[in-house]
Amino acid sequence: MSTAEIRARLIEDAAVIYPGLYLNQLRGESIERQCRAFLAAGVRRIVINFEETEVINSIGISILLGVIESVNGAQGTVVLSNLNASNRELFEMLGLMSHVAMVDTEEIALLKLGGEALQAAT
Amino acid sequence: MTDSNSRQILSHLSDEDFADREVELAGVWALARSGPEKRAHGSVSNVLLLGAPRAGKTEILRKSFDRIFNEGGEALPFYYALRSSCLDPEAFAHDYFSHFLAQFVAFRRNDPTLISAADEPLVVLNRAAPAEDYVCVRSMVDSFARALQSGNTDSLLRVALSAPSTAATHAGLNPLVMIDNWHLTARTELHTRFIRSLSAGWTWEKRVPAYVLTGLRLLVTELIPPDQAMFDRIEVIRVERMSDETVEKLTRRQADLLGIETTDSTIELMTQQLNCDFFYTRAILNAAASRGLSLKTFIEFERLYTIEVLSGRIGHYLDALIRDAAQDSRAGRAVLEALALVGEAGRPVPIEAVTELMGEHTSDNHALLRRMDAREMLDISYGFVTASADPVLADYARAKYRSEIGGAVRPVAGEELLSEKLKHSYRLMMSRYNREIESQLVELLSGFDFQGVPASLFDHVAYDDRYRGMSRVQVRRALDDEEERVRLPQIVLVHDVGSGEEPGVNWRLFTASGFEGGIYTEANEVLWVIALINSKEPLDVETLGRIDQQVDPGLRGQRAKSGTMPRAVRWYISKEGFSAVASERLSNLHAYRSTYSHLDLIQDYLTRLELGGEARPASEFELVIPIEDDAELIAARTAEQIARAADFDQEAINQIKTALIEACLNAAEHGDSPDRKIHQRFAIDEDKLIITVSNKGKTFGRANGQATPALGAQPVKGARGRGLQIIRALMDEVEFERTDDGARLVMTKYLKRPGSQ
Repeated sequence: MSTAEIRARLIEDAAVIYPGLYLNQLRGESIERQCRAFLAAGVRRIVINFEETEVINSIGISILLGVIESVNGAQGTVVLSNLNASNRELFEMLGLMSHVAMVDTEEIALLKLGGEALQAAT
Repeated sequence: MTDSNSRQILSHLSDEDFADREVELAGVWALARSGPEKRAHGSVSNVLLLGAPRAGKTEILRKSFDRIFNEGGEALPFYYALRSSCLDPEAFAHDYFSHFLAQFVAFRRNDPTLISAADEPLVVLNRAAPAEDYVCVRSMVDSFARALQSGNTDSLLRVALSAPSTAATHAGLNPLVMIDNWHLTARTELHTRFIRSLSAGWTWEKRVPAYVLTGLRLLVTELIPPDQAMFDRIEVIRVERMSDETVEKLTRRQADLLGIETTDSTIELMTQQLNCDFFYTRAILNAAASRGLSLKTFIEFERLYTIEVLSGRIGHYLDALIRDAAQDSRAGRAVLEALALVGEAGRPVPIEAVTELMGEHTSDNHALLRRMDAREMLDISYGFVTASADPVLADYARAKYRSEIGGAVRPVAGEELLSEKLKHSYRLMMSRYNREIESQLVELLSGFDFQGVPASLFDHVAYDDRYRGMSRVQVRRALDDEEERVRLPQIVLVHDVGSGEEPGVNWRLFTASGFEGGIYTEANEVLWVIALINSKEPLDVETLGRIDQQVDPGLRGQRAKSGTMPRAVRWYISKEGFSAVASERLSNLHAYRSTYSHLDLIQDYLTRLELGGEARPASEFELVIPIEDDAELIAARTAEQIARAADFDQEAINQIKTALIEACLNAAEHGDSPDRKIHQRFAIDEDKLIITVSNKGKTFGRANGQATPALGAQPVKGARGRGLQIIRALMDEVEFERTDDGARLVMTKYLKRPGSQ
């Protein structure tokens, strides 16, 4: 439980990050490092899939906000997916909705990012 | 000790180490502060402080002295401990007088260091007196010198004993004289003198002291003459044994101070084995500290205990105790013979049998036995002698007997004691657990007062049929709807009528007498016979039969005693329930059959009835987590299980988990917790879950009532700092409370039942 390993994968030119069971400071910082690496590699579309995430604490959210701002600042996009009801409620409470899109599944998130990319290209 | 209000002057223990004695201190304090009006009207003006040896009587007097001295009010404290070497009237008078003068001058100068000047010549004490007291002290010293010169013992004692009164009258103070080892005055001239002082009348012109007397309790009480007027002026303060919890707390503290590693189990074992005697506990801890040993396992403790009892501080102390009673080595042997005999017997032994055995070694066996009784090394009552309740003395006597009289060489005696203690340790721990359940039962029975209680709590089969698989909270709710009730009697008297033991099972029997109706007639009389059975397995029918063999004579005895037999109700309470056959047999006997958990539910039900629904939580859980990475997740998972058992839906459970995680983070972030721990309590009530998160530290996030920024659409880059907002948003009630050593956050989540808003 103390490990801060974050699982991530690349699907075409989009990255999907899985924060794991508990998004706290350690895992938040891992996500931050992972995103920086993706951005450095030219990946601009990022999905954060919270399917396995049981709870999120306020430090984790704080770091997540920084990540979203960094990606946005690099002309990238972050989409959050698979949030359970209480995590979604928490994000709404802290006003994240206006900064980031939240969708039900990873597939929708990837479609959404694909569509946006297409739109941007045309 | 720079604070003059908490200076340790005569006391040996700090306030932190002097626990559980506030009632006794308050009693002495009240006597010290009783004003002239009360004393002039002859209300209670003396106190006998009675308690077992090593109960802390001396320290209560010393601590009282310190408090009165430090307060510097209108009470004038004087503490004096009689010594065997100072019982000669002239020696006593000089010692008493000089100790008083030293303490008086020290008190008037508010300088405790002057107390040690008691050994200086009287003229030195006179010179140390403040100007306003100089003449008075000079006059007292002169009077004493004249009495000494005259060779008149009578006037010498009079001057010495009246010194507190003389000085207090001069200074306009109320003297409080605390005499330790007062039993030493027995059969001396001093006894008559003190008795006279105890009955002296108070006047404005002569402020006689209020006395606090202590010593060996059996002798001290015998020294008070059967005089009604005297008893009117005496109050008794009893110094009881400290509770297990207090001793365990003190032991933990002392071990920490000495840097000794312990575990909860060894501390509990020490407390039980040393009979809550903190003198013995300190001896063990000091020995562990000086040898650099830890006390983490039973064997570590038992090894050290054996050494201490045979040749350490405890052994030396008990050697001295025997010398004090016996006075010569032959009599010492007689003491060991007597202790070994009554200890081995395990029951009262006729006094003749003991004196006959002792008579081989001493001619003064009756007097020696009385001296042992006075020191509570054994107990003499109605011609029988019983072993002392002090288990350490019993161990010492047994081991000493083996080595000194039985001829065993010391290592062998030690090995035997060690082996005995190790074998006994598990049973000792179990006996503590049993005692707790037994007191719970007695308390429960004492609360029986015609209430109607759900019948399934007296029938484990019906209970299992109805409630199997339900959580405790669900059962608690369902019990309210149960129609069939057992009408309880009003219990008047509860008796412990014996116990029994077999491998894997032990039991204790109680009788509870009372009445079934509101009219106290023979027809309404009822006798409950209760068997409390601690068994590792469901109770089998064979063991039940053997318990019944013990129950039946008890019932017959009751019939023989009273001539009539009230209606008898049998109630069997087995920790792990009953086998099917045993259960059927109880059903045929029309006996009640419960488990330990039913006891708890009955107690809970009665408490709720008493409080009209406002009762203690149905269940309480405690969790302590270290302040380290991810520990809050463990707390969240615990909360999840508890909330689920209380029927909260998943959404509410997630909210509770998130709120708890934030509370833990706050506690860790803001507290300066020296123990690096976060304490949590979860209390499930009828319709809510209350979570209390406490830390030891300066703060716990934002103080209560302080404005919090509104939650809204503007995200804050540092969502951290919003922990409390999250908690407030997710929980229904949130409160902060300051505690003596930190703060706590109390969060409540209400259960939303279907249809509720």
